[in-house]
Order: sequence, then C-alpha cells, then structure tokens
Amino acid sequence: MSFTELPHTADVKIRACAPTLDALFSDALDALMQVMYGKDRKGRVSKEIDVESSDNEALLADFLSEILFISEVDRLVFSRADIRIAGGKLHAVLEGEPFDPSRHAGGSEVKGISYSGMSVTRDTNGYMLDIIFDV
Amino acid sequence: MIEGVKRIDTNEWEVPEGFIPGMRVPGRFFLSESLGESLEPGALQQLANVATMPGIIKNALAMPDIHWGYGFPIGGVAAFSLEDGVISPGGVGFDINCGVRLMTTPLSFADVSGRRDLVDQLFHAVPTGVGAKSSLKLSPRSLDAMMTTGARWAVENGYGVPRDLVRCEESGCMNGADTRHVSAKARQRGIPQGGTLGSGNHFLEVQVVREIFDPVAAEAFGIREGQVCCMIHCGSRGLGHQVCTDHVKLLEAATKKYQIKLPDRQLACAPLTSPEGREYFGAMAAAANYAWANRQMITHTTRQVLSTLFRIDYEDMPLVYDVAHNVAKFEDHVVDGKSMKVCVHRKGATRAFGPGSADIPPELSSIGQPVIIPGSMGTSSYILRGTETAMERTFGSTCHGAGRIMSRSQAKKRMSGKEVTENLLKEGIIVRAPHENAIADEAPGVYKPSDEVVRVVHDVGISRLVARLSPVGVIKG
Repeated sequence: MSFTELPHTADVKIRACAPTLDALFSDALDALMQVMYGKDRKGRVSKEIDVESSDNEALLADFLSEILFISEVDRLVFSRADIRIAGGKLHAVLEGEPFDPSRHAGGSEVKGISYSGMSVTRDTNGYMLDIIFDV
Repeated sequence: MIEGVKRIDTNEWEVPEGFIPGMRVPGRFFLSESLGESLEPGALQQLANVATMPGIIKNALAMPDIHWGYGFPIGGVAAFSLEDGVISPGGVGFDINCGVRLMTTPLSFADVSGRRDLVDQLFHAVPTGVGAKSSLKLSPRSLDAMMTTGARWAVENGYGVPRDLVRCEESGCMNGADTRHVSAKARQRGIPQGGTLGSGNHFLEVQVVREIFDPVAAEAFGIREGQVCCMIHCGSRGLGHQVCTDHVKLLEAATKKYQIKLPDRQLACAPLTSPEGREYFGAMAAAANYAWANRQMITHTTRQVLSTLFRIDYEDMPLVYDVAHNVAKFEDHVVDGKSMKVCVHRKGATRAFGPGSADIPPELSSIGQPVIIPGSMGTSSYILRGTETAMERTFGSTCHGAGRIMSRSQAKKRMSGKEVTENLLKEGIIVRAPHENAIADEAPGVYKPSDEVVRVVHDVGISRLVARLSPVGVIKG
C-alpha cells in the first residue's frame, strides 16, 4: 500500500504504484479517504460494492465516484478495501466506520474524480496510477 | 512566456492554431507579464484542448486567473454555435453554479471590529466543512421545487425578500431545468445539504468597503466606504457534483456515438441539438438552481444573525448581486456583426454584461452588471462592473477570483492553521473553521494576488473597478 502526493496547484494529484491492478485500486481508495478524512480511519463495519465499466480508467473513475457517493450519503469513512477486478468488473469489500467529526473533519471534500491527468500504466513489474481529485 | 505563445497586446496573448493538433480556432488569454511567471503549461494545454471542440466560436478564451484544472482550464470561457456546437460538463465543472454574492448592511467598521461573537454566531448558524449537515429537512417535493425555481423557491419559503431575486444573475433561476435528468443519487446527496456552505475555498465573510474607485457605480450598487458587507461563496454541493459525474459518463458514450474526437476524456460532450446534450443542460440548470437556493438560504441565516445581534432590520440588508462562475448558458451575443444565440461555458469565469444589456436589473442598466471577485482569505475582494468591451471580446465574461499558485500540501508545510489564524488576527481578521487544516490550505499567499488579477481585467476593459473590500471576519468551509 503506497501513494504519494505530486505537486498540483488547484487540486490534489496522487501517484500510486502496486504489483496488481487490485492493489492499485485499493491504494487509490486509501488516497481518496486520506485526502478527505485524514489518516485515523478504523475498520468497524463492512460494505460490498460492484462496479462495471468499459476500461481501467473508467472503472477507477466509476469506483471512486461510487465511494464518494456512499461515503457522503451513508456518512462512512473507509479504512481499506479488498478488491477483485476481472473482465471490466470490480467487486470490493470495504471496511470503514461512521464519520466522526472529532477525528475526520480535517480533510478536504473531494468534489469529483476527473479524467484529466488520469493514467493507469503498466510494465513487467506492475502498475502505476496518476489521478487528480477535484477539491 | 511559454514557447509557442504569441503576444497580441500588453495583457493579451494568443495560442495559435497548430499549438496542438485539431485546433479549430486560436486560444486567447489575458495576463500581465508578472502573472505569466506562474502560468502552468498544463493550463495552456487545456485552453488549446478547448479550441478543438466542435462548433466553438471565435476563440477559446481564458481570464487572468487561468490555472490548471480538469477539462477546461479554470478561468476558461468558450461559446458554441447552437447548430453545430457542443455542451460539455468539463466546461462547467463538478461544482455547478459555484458562485458568489454580496449583501450590504447598515453597519460600519466600528460596529463589527473585534466582535468575535459575530463570527462565532455565524459559524454556528451556517453548517460548514466536510460532513456538515443541514438542520433543514427537505422533502423530495421541496427538492424538486428548489431545482426548478431556484432562489425563488427559497424566497417563497421565507428565506429572503422578492427584491433579492432581481439582484441575482438569471433572477436566481435558470430556465430549462429538467429534474428528470437528475439521478436518484444526486437527489439523495442534495436533500441533507440545503443551506450548507461546503468546504475547500468556500466561505462566508464579513467585509468592510475600504476603497471606492467609481462613485457613480458604487452608489447605484448601494455601496459606500466604511460599510460592512457580507460575501457568500459556495455552490451546488453534492447534488451538483453527482450531476457532473453522472453526465460525464453519459456524455462519454455520446462522444463516441457522434464521433467527436477529443484530446481529453474530461471534455466529454454532445451536440447541443442531441438528446444527450439537452439532458445534461436540463440537469445542470437544475443543479444551478439548487445552488442559487442554497446561497439564498445562507443569506437568510446570515441576516437573522446580524439582525438579532445588532438589532437591524432584515430588510436593511439588501443584496448587491449574485453571480455564477461555473455554468453553461444560452445567451445572445454579436458574432461577426450579427446577433445570435450561443451556448457560453464559463468555468471559473464570471458573467460581466455591460450597460444596456436586457439581462441586468433595469436600475443598473446605465452602469453594467455588478461583478463580484472574491479574494483569498485575508486579502481584498473586489466589486467591478460589466462593460461593452466584455460583450465584444469575451462573450460578456471576466475573471472569477485570484487563482491558486501553491498546492495545499505546500501550504500546510509552510504554515500551520494556528499560525495563519494568529497572523490574521494581528491584522484584525477573525477566522473560524471546523478544522485548522482548512485555514492552512487557504492561507494568504497560496493564491495569485487578487489586486493584480483585477488590475488586468480593468486595464483590458472587460470589467471596470468599482470598490475594494477587505475581511474582518471569515467563516471557512
């Protein structure tokens, strides 16, 4: 699990590297949650979601957009995810906890997941992701 | 200046056709030499990308607060022909009808200076920040009415006075809202957030008019030196974000269907004449109306606090104006000597209609539309007026703010929220936010100097300076 923040003036740009696509998406979720709610996130409840899209970039945008939606309406903060991707379909088992203002209010609300600046690339050792969160 | 860019005038630059393949028109942007030092190549690339879109008229434009966004650059403006042009959520943004309004009060600087109770009460009255919930329980029917009639719904439900509507762009309600194309998800997000400020660069400020540049216009706008005003900056919250997300996906399919070639997926678009294009417009207008109702509700809460604390009349706090700075609209403009209806996208740009325009309040017809340019926390905000030059050169548009020059992570490393708050207090500015990180993120110095941005639009003539305001109390989202 690793990601770094790259310089971006208006928004938040993240780079993540992982050996598999499943782990890469999991890192992207971790980055999104950290930007929004900080590092103190526990796994007390779990939730499963399924997403289907035309390609890896769309799958990532749709997955993270679904996370933004669930997080806001169910007031949940996710700590980790077990992700399985196959044939353009994603199944995720998410772990998280209810939003706690005393621990989770220090982040930035992410308005959306943009395709601008998004890339999922791969070489023999694994995958790399660049993504911009609109805050 | 970045290589390949041509200087047209002191503050005007051109991105020629051929800068990237597929450009249909040149890009034009307005920038002083000093602001040019912080111009990002990514922002110029995005301006050139806009110039490749079908049916674009004259130029892809950018205002002096241009910076790197997604889809259009921030500060971007483009008009599209109704016959062969397109509409794109990437030219509006996730925060549909993010905008700003200014309200005057009968109070003077001495009445509010050092009044921490005022800032505290406003902070407690207006829900702010990540995860903030409204105390209002909107019914699904009320949400629909809010999306259909915008600020008018708010006024009819006791959140303002009819005079407020006259002083909003579009009278606070865009025609053509079609709530059938607002998804169940967007509605679910919209219901608990009515009257909330949000986070990021959104704010509610108590400001004082420090300088008047144009006494005639200032008098017409109801502004005098030393007067206390309140400025509200926010948008359509989760509802608007979801409308954008949903329709980017729908329009991606449409882009393929109509065989439109684009250099950036975030520019996903559809012909204005297509069902997909019309559906996005209907949903976007509904989200824009939600945002107008939202700003109206926050105005109401602000008036209630001021009214109780200072024993002033609710009616003595009139609205100067309310502008949208993330929106696409059908407007009449003169193109090659002929008046025609076009679809103008403004992404981080403000409408700045000049004198005589039919779309501004009749009492301001000889002056031009009030333009409100928020500064960053602790720096000046400006009131300008729209001009004929804007009508001729920028489809009646001007800048929308200062534009960031420093990332949030750099900002946090440079100074803590606590330090920023203490420094601002030394200048007489009281800041409240749900968390100190929100203050560090938006500290003075992370934005371009707003004075320089407005000086450029004033010099180019696409809006003219009327007044300068500075904050004494800041509620950050």
